[in-house]
Amino acid sequence: MRRQLLFIGAFGLVYAVVAALAEHSYYQLILTVVPVWAVMGLSWNLLSGYSGFVSFGHAAFFGLGAYFVALAHIQWGLSPWIGIPCAGIVGGLAGLLVGIPTFRLRGHYFALAMLAYPLALLYVFEWLGYQELALPMEREAPAVYMQFADHRVYAWIALALMLGAMALTAWVERSRFGMSLVAIREDEAAAEAAGIRTVSWKLRAITLSGALAGIAGGFYAVVLLVVTPPAVFGMLVSAQALIVAMFGGVGTLWGPVIGAVVLVPLSEVLHAQLGNVIPGIQGVVYGLAIIAVILLAPEGVFWKVRDMKARRAGGVPDVLVAEPAPAVVAPGVRGVGGGKVFEVEGVSISFGGLQAVRDVNLSVSRGEILGIIGPNGAGKTTLFNLLNGFIRPDRGRILLEGRDITGARPYEICAAGVGRTFQVVRPFRRMSVHDNVVVGAYVGQASGAGAHAVARAALAKVGLAAQANRSAGELSNKQLRLLEIARALAGKPKVLLLDETLAGLGASEVEEVIALVRQLAAEGVTIVIIEHTMQAMVRLVDRFVVLNEGAVLAQGQPAEITRNDAVIDAYLGRRWRTANA
Amino acid sequence: MSAAQWVENFLQALTAGLLTGAIYGLMCVGLSVIFGVMRVINFAHGDFMMLGMYVAYYAFGMLGLQAIFGAGAAPYAAAVLAAPAVFLAGVLTHRFLVSKVTGMRGSGLAAEGHYAQLILTLGVALVLQNGGLYVFGSAPVSIPTPLASSAWEIGPLHGDLVSVFVNQGQTVAALIAAVVVAAFVLFMARSPLGKSLRAAADNPEAATYMGIDVGRAHRLAFGLGVAITAVGGGLLASGTSFQPYVGLEYVIVMYAGVVLGGLGSVSGAFFGGLTIGLVQQLSTLILPNQLQNTAIFVVFLGIVLLRPQGLFGRAARRT
Amino acid sequence: MLEIRGLRAGYGGPPVLEGLSLHVDKGEFVAIVGPNGAGKTTLFKAISGIVRPDAGMLRFDGADLAGVEAAARPHLGIAHVPEGRQVFPSLTVRENLEMGAQTAAGKAAWKDSLEKIHAWFPLLAQRAKALAGSLSGGQQQMLAIARGLASAPRLLMLDEPSMGLAPAVADEIFERIVSIHAGGELTVLLVEQRVAEALHFASRGYVLESGRIALEGTHEELRSNDRIRQAYLGM
Repeated sequence: MRRQLLFIGAFGLVYAVVAALAEHSYYQLILTVVPVWAVMGLSWNLLSGYSGFVSFGHAAFFGLGAYFVALAHIQWGLSPWIGIPCAGIVGGLAGLLVGIPTFRLRGHYFALAMLAYPLALLYVFEWLGYQELALPMEREAPAVYMQFADHRVYAWIALALMLGAMALTAWVERSRFGMSLVAIREDEAAAEAAGIRTVSWKLRAITLSGALAGIAGGFYAVVLLVVTPPAVFGMLVSAQALIVAMFGGVGTLWGPVIGAVVLVPLSEVLHAQLGNVIPGIQGVVYGLAIIAVILLAPEGVFWKVRDMKARRAGGVPDVLVAEPAPAVVAPGVRGVGGGKVFEVEGVSISFGGLQAVRDVNLSVSRGEILGIIGPNGAGKTTLFNLLNGFIRPDRGRILLEGRDITGARPYEICAAGVGRTFQVVRPFRRMSVHDNVVVGAYVGQASGAGAHAVARAALAKVGLAAQANRSAGELSNKQLRLLEIARALAGKPKVLLLDETLAGLGASEVEEVIALVRQLAAEGVTIVIIEHTMQAMVRLVDRFVVLNEGAVLAQGQPAEITRNDAVIDAYLGRRWRTANA
Repeated sequence: MSAAQWVENFLQALTAGLLTGAIYGLMCVGLSVIFGVMRVINFAHGDFMMLGMYVAYYAFGMLGLQAIFGAGAAPYAAAVLAAPAVFLAGVLTHRFLVSKVTGMRGSGLAAEGHYAQLILTLGVALVLQNGGLYVFGSAPVSIPTPLASSAWEIGPLHGDLVSVFVNQGQTVAALIAAVVVAAFVLFMARSPLGKSLRAAADNPEAATYMGIDVGRAHRLAFGLGVAITAVGGGLLASGTSFQPYVGLEYVIVMYAGVVLGGLGSVSGAFFGGLTIGLVQQLSTLILPNQLQNTAIFVVFLGIVLLRPQGLFGRAARRT
Repeated sequence: MLEIRGLRAGYGGPPVLEGLSLHVDKGEFVAIVGPNGAGKTTLFKAISGIVRPDAGMLRFDGADLAGVEAAARPHLGIAHVPEGRQVFPSLTVRENLEMGAQTAAGKAAWKDSLEKIHAWFPLLAQRAKALAGSLSGGQQQMLAIARGLASAPRLLMLDEPSMGLAPAVADEIFERIVSIHAGGELTVLLVEQRVAEALHFASRGYVLESGRIALEGTHEELRSNDRIRQAYLGM
């Protein structure tokens, strides 16, 4: 962090000196708008780069900020020195208001919906009659109204804004805030199941992002002295914010700055040289830049350069340390019957006429290993989704240690002590193994340091300590399964829901994971596991619940279940009977 | 305002809405092939429509269409001529740009594939809009048609208090739009090519196992999608004036219509577009004219927020 | 009919298949078994051209497949029924079959194959107009197999037809495959994780482990092999 701030400071110093040396007012203007677009890029990056919710509508916040400063100056005589911070508040509030409904959308729907806001505002401001607002010249006390004959002052103010935005980004990146946003980007549902309060972090991100954009817009109004709806709410504003960030590098502190430093002067100079001959040259430049980025370096210049440097330096060292096999604990007598952890009472849910789970009653005792089996489509995973709060039942109640949690959010249920893994593994692929688990640890830890310590312990427990610094995307299937368990363990769960944790594992790997599950159970974690591999399950679980077509077909000890005729017909198949007769 | 006059205004807006809506419906059908069926996000779709408008404009002016078809029919012939030109532009865009981030390569990327498509086509949109400024100029133009200024009068009805004027130019355009939509829906549903396009969209890998050249199928579908929308643009061009930035306004209109109609349903997209046209025109009864588009944006937000599976189609199967 | 020698293939990273060789003769029913992740699906994808081999040779009917595009291979008579069924969900059952019959042989034999398909899978005749996406897992698997058969292939490649199906349903599918093989000139290449079933039905088999052929032999040889009995058959 300190090193980063030092870098930012040094860059600021150089920029300030360059601005001081710029004589021509045209260069001074360019040196002023570069930081403005860098702030816009940082604003876009704060939301879209880290959380992955791509915004096509940052012009909405920018435009509101610009109009606020202009109108406040014209109508109330408010100085931009106060108006610009207020524009930040306006932008932040707008972000919050936009975020509350719009975060119900995902992916491209979110992007398109965001596009609608500035376009709608553009027409509203035209209709209100603000086709062109000019900021009045204040000859009495120009400095009080942020009006300077020496245009270099604007560049310095812009620079200060940019350095502030960079410091803010640096702080976010290092904190729980940034980690949570990145986890949301990588896999929102998994983040929520790991205890991240996704809605609240996203709203904070868009509020902060809107505030930065509002400040940039407010300052832009002061620099240009004229505000028109197309200039501040237009598509090019949103696009420029996105493009400088994408060009430089998404989800990085320096990316938007690099993008602005390269692209803004380029397009300005081309516009000045060729603008008369080729109108729209700026848009073409930005368009081509973004096409090139997507095709050649989709992560942006920053990452591309870093990768190239790493390759020249001999590549990322890929140390494979033989990991110690987890200690095998014999399946001893555990505290079965120590009260109910989960009680599911008459729970049903249907999706578009299909009854996925119908009237399911079951309970899980403390310290038990409960196996859930049944044919595909029997509702096993849906049951897990009900238990950890991904979906809410149409009918029935779910009690966790006697407390009704029906309809609670996944992060609340996680905080209450329920961890889960997924049928198809859902790691945060571009985060390190360690950071994956840190995300799971936040739920029980007030401090960042505490979360890191818990994460290290959880990784050691599953035997992934040696992989801690690798990126999760590089792990093998077994390691990913273990990583998911570690992430769930970091939240200190009372119950672990394991969804087909053994799927796709080789015979010896199955034994390793089974040993780990047994060990966890011996340490007092209640386990509910969905699995297809009957041979493994029969040896692992204390009790089976068999689901078929959404309903409980049978439950009981393994020995009873494997001989139950209804279970054999629906699930195990005739061959099972002949093989085990 | 008297009740009779209110009824007259309402019927007038309703008629205008249906006529405009039919053209929007055609444009939405084009987008639905790309977005609804292939699940490719084409942010530049409105700009291909803009290309269609200018192709129609220049075809009308230069190719001697007026001599062949007469002043009345020439604008419509020009609109239809936009299709092959924009088809070619679409096929080339897909071949050299979009295909790099879609199809099997894109499906491997899952969410990141969508992200790349969105931003790549944003780049295409910026180039088309701003390049259009250079090529076509920024002054608004439109295709003159004698039919645009003549109307049939329905009525007087209800004594002689109410009468509705139906613009002849818009009516012909709406009819052409409906015919093109019907032909295209039939093509997708019945023809072997249409079926293999749907198969290639459903599952590119499995389609390859059937011996379908998936790259070619996606290219064709992209070309067809932008070409159909270009016809819609060409039809619109004889009623309204336009400039190179016109596409942006219609992007939202088209996505709203496609989502409303239900993703993956080509005929649903037509009714989605029709509904958007109605909303736009009926909004003039209560809102000032400048806020027509704002009304559409609000409707769009309402749709994606409240009913992303659409009003007409089945629930989206592949979300 | 199919001959593979020294095949190396993968997805850019470490190779999934390494030095793999096998052959399938006309009219045979050959099973390839092995644990998850051994490279079975990659092998199939290399045969149908979705995965480009890094080294080695693939021949079909004596002709080298190296220069043949993936989309051209079905036209040679190779039908690939992919893992996880992969029917076209928004097409009807009949349209799915029509997609299968895109090949010249399939078009020529369309009437005949449709009749046969309906005899093997009467349910597909009943539900001809239903959307494939609305079928159950087992029905979709039947459709996927029927779609492969509609191309009038000479080699039918089945990738884990039992995947995700209840054992009872999987048994039914296996029995249907056996009767289809018994009734015609078709060559069948089956990839399966359910080793017991696969070796039960096939005439010959290969065991694929970590991208190589670990064992090969006839039905009897493999079923009596101690290693297989222990590792896969749980005996």
